[in-house]
Amino acid sequence: MNWIGLYTFVWREVQRFTRVSIQTLVTPWISALLFIFVFGSVVGQRIDTIGGVPYITFVFPGILIMNVISSAFSQTSSSLYFQRFARHIEEILVAPLSHLEMILGYIAGALARGVVVGVGIVIIGIFFGAVAMYNVPLFVFYMVMISVVFGLIGLLVGLWSDGFEQLALLNTFVIMPLSFLGGMFNSIDMLPPIMQKVVVWNPFFYFIDGVRYSMTGISESHIGLGMSIIIICSFALGSLVWVLFERGWRLRS
Amino acid sequence: MSQPALQINNLVKDYGKTRAVDGLSLEVQPGEFFGYLGPNGAGKTSTIHAVTGIARFNEGTIRVFGRDVVKEYRDARRLVGLSPQEFNVDIFATPRLILDIVGGYYGMARAKRKERTEMLLERFDLAQHAEKEFRMLSGGLKRRVMLARALIHDPELLILDEPTAGVDVELRRELWVYLRELNEEGKTILLTSHYLEEVELLCNRIAIIGGGKIAMIGDKKDFMKNGKRLEDTYMEIANRSKEGKVK
Repeated sequence: MNWIGLYTFVWREVQRFTRVSIQTLVTPWISALLFIFVFGSVVGQRIDTIGGVPYITFVFPGILIMNVISSAFSQTSSSLYFQRFARHIEEILVAPLSHLEMILGYIAGALARGVVVGVGIVIIGIFFGAVAMYNVPLFVFYMVMISVVFGLIGLLVGLWSDGFEQLALLNTFVIMPLSFLGGMFNSIDMLPPIMQKVVVWNPFFYFIDGVRYSMTGISESHIGLGMSIIIICSFALGSLVWVLFERGWRLRS
Repeated sequence: MSQPALQINNLVKDYGKTRAVDGLSLEVQPGEFFGYLGPNGAGKTSTIHAVTGIARFNEGTIRVFGRDVVKEYRDARRLVGLSPQEFNVDIFATPRLILDIVGGYYGMARAKRKERTEMLLERFDLAQHAEKEFRMLSGGLKRRVMLARALIHDPELLILDEPTAGVDVELRRELWVYLRELNEEGKTILLTSHYLEEVELLCNRIAIIGGGKIAMIGDKKDFMKNGKRLEDTYMEIANRSKEGKVK
């Protein structure tokens, strides 16, 4: 294992997002602040409690992971795509780094950005009284796993993309719709019966529900099933990314 | 090291249905300054990409000082430094950061790469530009950064893919001095260039490729017999290559 190489890779990824911190950190914090303000002080006051907790506390996990998902995904997809586009991926390809080390480096960058964005949003949430914490280890587990899963999806998109438009395509047409339809801002009970049957096939529902359970103790699915799904997703995506890197798909011409 | 610095056997590289390198074999001995010539599309950069790991290849073997570039890629890559044709760097990074990061990728400890970074910045007259973003540098300074980056991990084999492309005459001559010094210090250098006077001046052995195959290989004097210049021999081979007569 090239530990110094891996450490440098991770440090480089962290440096990449801190260099443009207004875009990568301040923007999601402002976005979360606006969501918390609207859902807490404007909409929340007109909605009764859900599962015994205030509406803002119920939707806070959704606001949190929406931004963590977006940050982790953007970190890896844009990093890999821009490196391919500007060809400084070659700097990495000629170095004595294994594909596993490269993947770990990208994912650690996604995790770091997800954590920094997440911690900032939790601090904002505490200020607005929106944060509850029911099970800290489970909360940490979900935050880490969500960052890993969406970091891996970002790597797939970063490899696949041939242009800036493709880079945004998956986020716009898959990630955001599935997040919003996965109970990010609502209880499954609020959906029409047909949608309630559909939503259980949406893996994002289990991610959101798991974080919500870890923060509020309210769950609408079986937590063991949710944990299994996210672990299986991370292994499946990790294996796919590793195979593509090993084959050099769109990486080693 | 008694093994060849670079040993390529029957290298084949395809891009889809196009064969860029067609069963090429080549040896470069330690300490040589080797010119690797050919017209655009002849397969020079494809060969270099295969040696350095930028591209996979379809058939053949490549060894750097005896290390297989696929099976022993970590050892092989530590022995090679590449200065590519294009500026493939993060244009927002400074020369100091570029050198430090690439040194890190090669597994160099912080103190060692700091020392080597400062030495290379001095050597290539980059010290006063060390904190400027790469995109703000002139073409000549960018070329020097590429050379310094290729040398950060002190490789034994230096591969230079058109290192003087697009630089003015004065700087080209400066770069020649640097390259000569490096070769005299014992670095093996493989140079590709379209400036034949540069190859004539610097290299002691030369290979010309055409259509992905070696058309001629030998000492510099073999290319300059009977009062011919290197350019004359090169043109003969290039024309034969165009007519498909290179075997």
